[in-house]
Amino acid sequence: MTHQPTNPRYGFLIDASYCIDCRSCMVACSVENNVPMDSTRIWIKETGITGTYPDLKRFTAPFHCMHCKDPSCVSACTVSALTRNDDGIVSYNQDICIGCRYCVYACPFGVPNYQWDEPLPLVIKCDMCFARLGEGQQPACAATCPTGAIQFGRYEDMLAEAHRKINERPDKYVQHIYGEEENGGTATLYISPVPFEELGFPIAGTTSPAYSNRLVTEGTPMVAGAMLVGLTGVYLTIKHLREEAERDRVEAAKEKAAQSAGEEQ
Amino acid sequence: MTMLRKIRHELNTMPKFVYITAALTVFGLSIALYRMFVGLGATTNLSKEFPWGIWISFDLATVALSGGAFTLAALVYVFQFEDLHPATRPTVLAGLLGYSSVMVILLFDLGRWDRFYNVFLHPNVSSALLEVSWCITAYTLILVYELSPVLLQNSRLKWLLPIIKKYTVPIVIAGVTLSTMHQSSLGTMFIIMSPRLHPLWSSMLLPVFFLISSFASGISLVVAGSSVSHWLFGRSLKIKTMAKLSWFIPWILAFYLVIKFGELVIAGEWDLLFSSGNYSLLFWAEIIFGVLIPIGMFAFRQVRFSRTASLIGALFIMGGTVLNRFDVTWFSIASVNGEVYTPHWMEIAILVGVAAGVVTVYSLIARYFPVYEETEPHQLPVEVRPFENSHAAGD
Repeated sequence: MTHQPTNPRYGFLIDASYCIDCRSCMVACSVENNVPMDSTRIWIKETGITGTYPDLKRFTAPFHCMHCKDPSCVSACTVSALTRNDDGIVSYNQDICIGCRYCVYACPFGVPNYQWDEPLPLVIKCDMCFARLGEGQQPACAATCPTGAIQFGRYEDMLAEAHRKINERPDKYVQHIYGEEENGGTATLYISPVPFEELGFPIAGTTSPAYSNRLVTEGTPMVAGAMLVGLTGVYLTIKHLREEAERDRVEAAKEKAAQSAGEEQ
Repeated sequence: MTMLRKIRHELNTMPKFVYITAALTVFGLSIALYRMFVGLGATTNLSKEFPWGIWISFDLATVALSGGAFTLAALVYVFQFEDLHPATRPTVLAGLLGYSSVMVILLFDLGRWDRFYNVFLHPNVSSALLEVSWCITAYTLILVYELSPVLLQNSRLKWLLPIIKKYTVPIVIAGVTLSTMHQSSLGTMFIIMSPRLHPLWSSMLLPVFFLISSFASGISLVVAGSSVSHWLFGRSLKIKTMAKLSWFIPWILAFYLVIKFGELVIAGEWDLLFSSGNYSLLFWAEIIFGVLIPIGMFAFRQVRFSRTASLIGALFIMGGTVLNRFDVTWFSIASVNGEVYTPHWMEIAILVGVAAGVVTVYSLIARYFPVYEETEPHQLPVEVRPFENSHAAGD
């Protein structure tokens, strides 16, 4: 059951230096997915206001599902409501979900949200505007962004573009592409003029915990099989030893009886 | 008429606490019903940051404490410590009620409880939670099987008993395997959450830690339960059986201690034991009260042969295990935006209701069914009982 994470077909490149916090992406997401503004699948992360007057600064960046190469949520999902398809899109099947919210906890980026006020709620998560891609359109957020902070295209192109940008302007960008290695690599890539921690991005490791998880869960049937055999073996061995000891005891008693009978004669 | 009088007499002689627990159960379940209609937002303090709360902590603690059922089944049927046999019935009953309460709580916890069956229709085999839900369901059925002789013994279905007995050993072996799997899978569940968990608890060995501590806390529940029922109902295990059982405790706990600290040393996280502030305190509380003190206590013969001392020691172990499960599921989870989770009163009310339901049902079954095969009655009131089937001493 080897699992070889493949590169996604599509990717985002989000440039925090271009984001002006206009929130058009959120409005677009709300309209596209027909959800209220408080449960959009994209939202804004920010540094808060830094510096001293008059040199005040504030950086923002839109944030949505990273579409990991080896997503923790897909590995965690109890049912198979969350899946990663051949294009690398991590999507959510709302007809299967049982609402255990394991994905919400498992995601190292804090992406999936939940409809807390619905009697029969569902998970809230970006699906890369799957339907729009089928019609040859860009995801709603990327198509709407007025400054080009959200770029969308082939993953390889986005990655190359990210490298080109930070190499060309080392004075402007932090020399790190968030998402290139995070959680084993993701389809959404970020570049930023400030360290990503300051933007409130989680510090994620370079391997996905989904890998460690599979190491254990996929070994379970084997452990179970071994236990069944082992326990049966223990049971039969102890039973056998006891019966043997009992037989020896009876035979010894018989012999003794025969002996004493012989002595009497 | 006689029927009515009989019922009235039964109600009058029922221990008074049963009325209280029954009332709490009704209250808790009505709140739970309310939660089903209005959703999780209004009735819980769960959020995107803390999508699981005290219900999950309770579930994990309960499953750990119910671990006595499979530990004992393994000891009695597989390893054939036959003199421990009298302890199996009360333990299996406690285990069954524990697991049933977990399933009930999980149903309240599920956002889409209306399609819980998708766990069987659309399984995802790499999910630890899937393993847990399958094993718990299957194991609950096995516990019903193991308990059925108690319920059928005095019924018209008595003829089933020899058939049930014939297949007990294979069923027990399957049950022990399933338990081992899900006790450890409950730990596996938190491997994928390692980015959120404090490193003192986060470990690839979590499944092993959970399994071993469930042995100890399961046995402790048997010991504690038998002491309590000795005082409440005058029916209990012989002190010799109890002592034999608690003899295993120091060994299990010492094993736990070695791998727990060994893992920290190997992972190079030794310094965290003293440098993590409140986390260090929680960790040491688990180890000192839940492991070190009980090892010291149960190492002594005098403790193992005293109901009071055994009860205290067992409570320490159970407390330590419960704290451990709460640490892993709640206290050690880092918040991302500085948000703190404290349960809503309705979350607690539902929990109290379900727990009270467990106590009620256990008391009723222990009163009317032959749960304790060997009984060691303490001083019964000298008064003659008017009805032959009221064999409990509770007043």
